[in-house]
Order: sequence, then C-alpha cells, then structure tokens
Amino acid sequence: MRKPNEIDFWRGFALITIFINHIPGNFIERFSYRNISLSDSAELFVLLAGWSMRLMIENPKHPLTSGGVVYRLWGRAFTLYIAQTFITEIAIFILAAASIWLDAPFLLDWHNAGAVFHQPIEAHIGLVLLTHQLGYFNILPLYVVLMVAAPVIALIYRTFPQLLLPLSLGLYVLTLAFGINFPSWPIEGTWFFSPTAWQLIYVIGFLLAGKTTDVGAFARRHVRILRWIALPIVLAGVAIAATRYFPDLADLPKSSRFFVIFDKTFLSPDRLIHMLALCALFAGAYTSLHAWLPRFVGFLALLGRNALNVFCAGSLLSLCGQIVRYMYGGQIVTDVILFAGGVAIMAFVAWISEWHSRSQRQREVVASALPSPFRSS
Amino acid sequence: MESAQPAAPPVLGASGQTPPALSPQCEVPASDLAAPAPLPNLTKALDEHRVINILSVGSPASAALGEASGVKSFPVQVTDILEAALKGVSVEITNRGVDGEVAETAADQIRSEAAIKKPDLVLWQLGTNDALARVGPGQFTDVVKNTIDWLRDSQIDVVLVGLQYTSRFAKDENYNAIRDALLQIATDEKVLYIRRYDAMRYIAQTRANLHLMESDNFHLSDLGTQCMAEHIARAMIASLFVKRFRPSPN
Repeated sequence: MRKPNEIDFWRGFALITIFINHIPGNFIERFSYRNISLSDSAELFVLLAGWSMRLMIENPKHPLTSGGVVYRLWGRAFTLYIAQTFITEIAIFILAAASIWLDAPFLLDWHNAGAVFHQPIEAHIGLVLLTHQLGYFNILPLYVVLMVAAPVIALIYRTFPQLLLPLSLGLYVLTLAFGINFPSWPIEGTWFFSPTAWQLIYVIGFLLAGKTTDVGAFARRHVRILRWIALPIVLAGVAIAATRYFPDLADLPKSSRFFVIFDKTFLSPDRLIHMLALCALFAGAYTSLHAWLPRFVGFLALLGRNALNVFCAGSLLSLCGQIVRYMYGGQIVTDVILFAGGVAIMAFVAWISEWHSRSQRQREVVASALPSPFRSS
Repeated sequence: MESAQPAAPPVLGASGQTPPALSPQCEVPASDLAAPAPLPNLTKALDEHRVINILSVGSPASAALGEASGVKSFPVQVTDILEAALKGVSVEITNRGVDGEVAETAADQIRSEAAIKKPDLVLWQLGTNDALARVGPGQFTDVVKNTIDWLRDSQIDVVLVGLQYTSRFAKDENYNAIRDALLQIATDEKVLYIRRYDAMRYIAQTRANLHLMESDNFHLSDLGTQCMAEHIARAMIASLFVKRFRPSPN
C-alpha cells in the first residue's frame, strides 16, 4: 500500500468523473469538467495508464528483463480482459434481472445489450472476442489492446528510444487519414475508441513519466513556458465546449476533415492537444492540493491506487444508477443520493482491496514495536 | 452497408406524381405521420444523379438487426421502398444504430460517422431512451438542436424518427415530455419528423387485431418493423414530391 501520489490522485479523480459521466442526464454531471473542456476523463485515464506502465517496467527496486516485461504486461492484459468479460456479464445480469423485476423489457436493449438477447449466439462470440461491447463498457477493451501492444512499446523504447514517439505519431496520422478502427460484430460498426488512434496518448503518458529523459524531461525543464502556451488552449476549450461549437464539414477541405473535428473515437488532435495543455497547466497542482486538502487528496489517491477494482465497481454502479433513475425519476435529490452512495461504495471497494496489504503492514508495525525477543524471525 | 446499382437519372414516382401507397396494415392519415419538410441536400443529390447516401443512427438497433428472423431490417426496407419509388435512383444506407443509446451519445456518433461517410441525409431515431433514462427535456432539446444545426451547416439533411407508441408509457410523464420536446424541435428547426407514436397509436386504436409489438409490448414485431420502414420512406418521398411539385405561390 503506497502513500498518496500525484498519479493515484488524478486517477481517482478520473474514476469519479467517469462514474458521473456514465449516468446520462444526472444533475451532478452538469458539474463534470467535460462541460467546459474539449477532452474528458477518458484521455486522462489512458494517459495515466501509459504513465503507470512506465513506472511498472522501470521500477528501480525490481528491474525487469525484456522477458519479464513481456510477462508482466501480458499478464496485466489478461487481468484486464478477465475484468472486462466479468463486468460485462454482470452488466447483462443486471439488465436481465431488472427487466424481469420491473417488468421492463426495454432494459434488454440498453447500451447495445439488445444483441445479447436477440442474437445470443453471435453476440456471445462477439463478447469474448471484444467485437461486441456494451455502451459505457468500452474503455477496458481499448486498455486490453494497449496492454497487449505494451511490450512492443516497451521494447522499442529500450532499443530505439528516439523512435517511439515518431512511430506512434505516424500510426496516429495514418489512422486519422484512413479512418482506421476495429470492427464491431454482430452489430455493424466500429469500436467506440480506435486503439490505433488512442495509442498515441498512451505512449505520450509513457514518455512523460520519464523524469530525466525524453519528452518528460523536456516538459519538466520548460514547464513555465508550456503553462503559458497551455493557458489560452484551455481557455479556448472552455469557450468551445460551453458554446457547443463544432466546425462545419461543409467549410472544410475533404482531406482535412479528420484532422479538425472534435472526435472522441479517433482522438482528434484538438482533444489531444487540449489534454496535453491540461497536463501542463495542472502539473504540480497536486503538491498544493496535498498541502491544503490532505484528506481529500488521500481519498482520491485511495481510489486511484485500486483503479481497476474501483473502475469495475463504478461501471456497474453507474448502470445501477441509470436503472434507479428510471424507477424514481431524475430529481436532484435522487441524483445526489446516487452520487454519494456510488462514491461511498467505490471507496469501500478500494478500502477492502487494500485489506490484505493494510493488515500485513499493521502486523509489521506491531512486530517492530515489540521487544526483540518477541519479534518474529 | 447495403448498396444497389449505379446511379441513373431518377424518374420520380412509379405512378405519376404521388408517393407510393402504404400497405393496408400500415395505413395512417398523413396528419398522424409527418408534415413534409424540405430535404435540400437529398434533392440536390437526386438532381445530380448521384447515389444517395443515408446514415441511420440511433436506437433501437434491434429493429435494424433483421435478417436473423428472415425479415429484412428496417434500413434495408427503407432502401427498397425508396429505390422502387424513385426509379433509377440508387440508395446506400449505412446502419450505425446502437441499442439503448441516448441522444447525447448518438450526437457524438453522428459527427464522427458523418465525417467518414459524408452522407446526404441522417436518419435519426431518438427519444425513447432519453425518456426512460430520465434525461430532462431541456438537456435533450439542447443536444438535438445543436446537432441538427451542425448537420444543416454541414449540408446534410436530417430526418427525426420519434418515440414509439406503447400503452405502457402512454401516461409516463417524462416519455410525454420528451415527445413534446421532439415535436417542438422539429417545428423550430423545420426538419422532417416522423411521428411514430401517433402513427402507431392510430393503428393500435383502429385495428386492434394487428400487433405492431411483440408480446412484451415494447419490441417491434415484423409487422411493426415493416410499418416503421414504410412510414419513414413514405414521409421522405412525400417531402421530395412537395419540394418538386408544389405549385408556385403566385
């Protein structure tokens, strides 16, 4: 159980934001930062995932061989895949059970679940192959793909560190130019997040985590200048998001359409640049926040330390929240109770996830406080 | 994507200047279906003898699944009716419907898909999921109007396909509020709005022996899917005819 840190804090922040954003129409969502921002918690979550990967494979206490890197990262990918299939199945259970309990057959159609009940053979193949994803349950499949590809990223970086960013950027540009995305099936379409586009922000997160090398070192050296550059970008994002401005396709040359629209699926450049501007502007804010609001920071860091478990819980809770809103209506009081209850349960999940390590730590403290003859060997 | 033959000069109407008739089971008065509205970009595509590209978005996608039961999905049925009525015209329809998605999610998808497909028209089913997810009519209106404005500025027509009728939600407050909001949006924005609720209610009240719904009183039956396709296609064609054959005001 590690002490609160900047990454866990922001990851906890992203987890709560995702939970709120995934209950459409709820009152608290109006205060979500995506209402005044071009990018949202998805970008933050993936950037931090890349950052965490760097910390995982470059832990000075546990240096990893190349084989060890592949083993750890693919092991993590498998864990994420299991988590995705598990929460999807639980979500299907929730929808099915609620449809019977409330005599509400329309719940079987929510969030792209319809095919599971209307075309179960094809849909179950799609669920296992990740070609069929429920709405709001589509970020872990992206994460799985990124983690499967992570050894390649790590090995390129270890061999040719200067090549990683140009290669990633090249794949991103190709993706935008040709609209590359993974297909969905049996429902005709594509993934909500294009992995070949979103890999760029993952790689940037990976590189930013380097304190003394790469882009990370450059950003730290020039953080004051970057903040001045970031400020107008973030302010422009506030204006654009608040006024819901979108450039018209008719005004744009055909070849440039992919490069300018505010698009989440392909992580359009405006969203990417805005996310990086947010990073520059708020980098270091953690230190002040920790000094002023230590309990608040500790709380979010608790969530962030146990991100996968909390994310899974939050995803299912937001689905339950939608059903509760259907039952009891969309009043403010309902939404406030949902928010408070949801966050409390997410915190409990984080707390229980640390039970073992916390108990172990307490035993070590007690043992170290005892006179030497009583210490365990 | 469903495609047809290459474009050829269109000949409007199989029988003169009137839209094709609805089948007897799906017959509803025009006043319960839709008020014609201009479709300038679709008209332009016809004038230029181009293949018509339609993007179908929204819920329920299950109505678009089709085929599994041997019945054509509704986007395919819409395509067939349009091609039969607009002789010599080819229609390509891309279905990107996602079950259970609210308008805000669909709006993001429309922008993304429109940039890729560059359609002449977006067929947008909406309202039911927002009503049941208890999205407020104000928020719903903001999202839909903003998207319609963007589509118009991007030279893409839009056809709104409204909430379905089911006796279960006939007195549901939010269901009716979203339905009212949708009518107001269509009026304000002057876009073609298929009043599916009114059409289905008319059939339910006048021909009780016909079942547009499955036994769960929510999912469309094969007949319900057929009527939905006929109503959409009929309203679109009627709007095209009005545009082309409306007598000059003077």
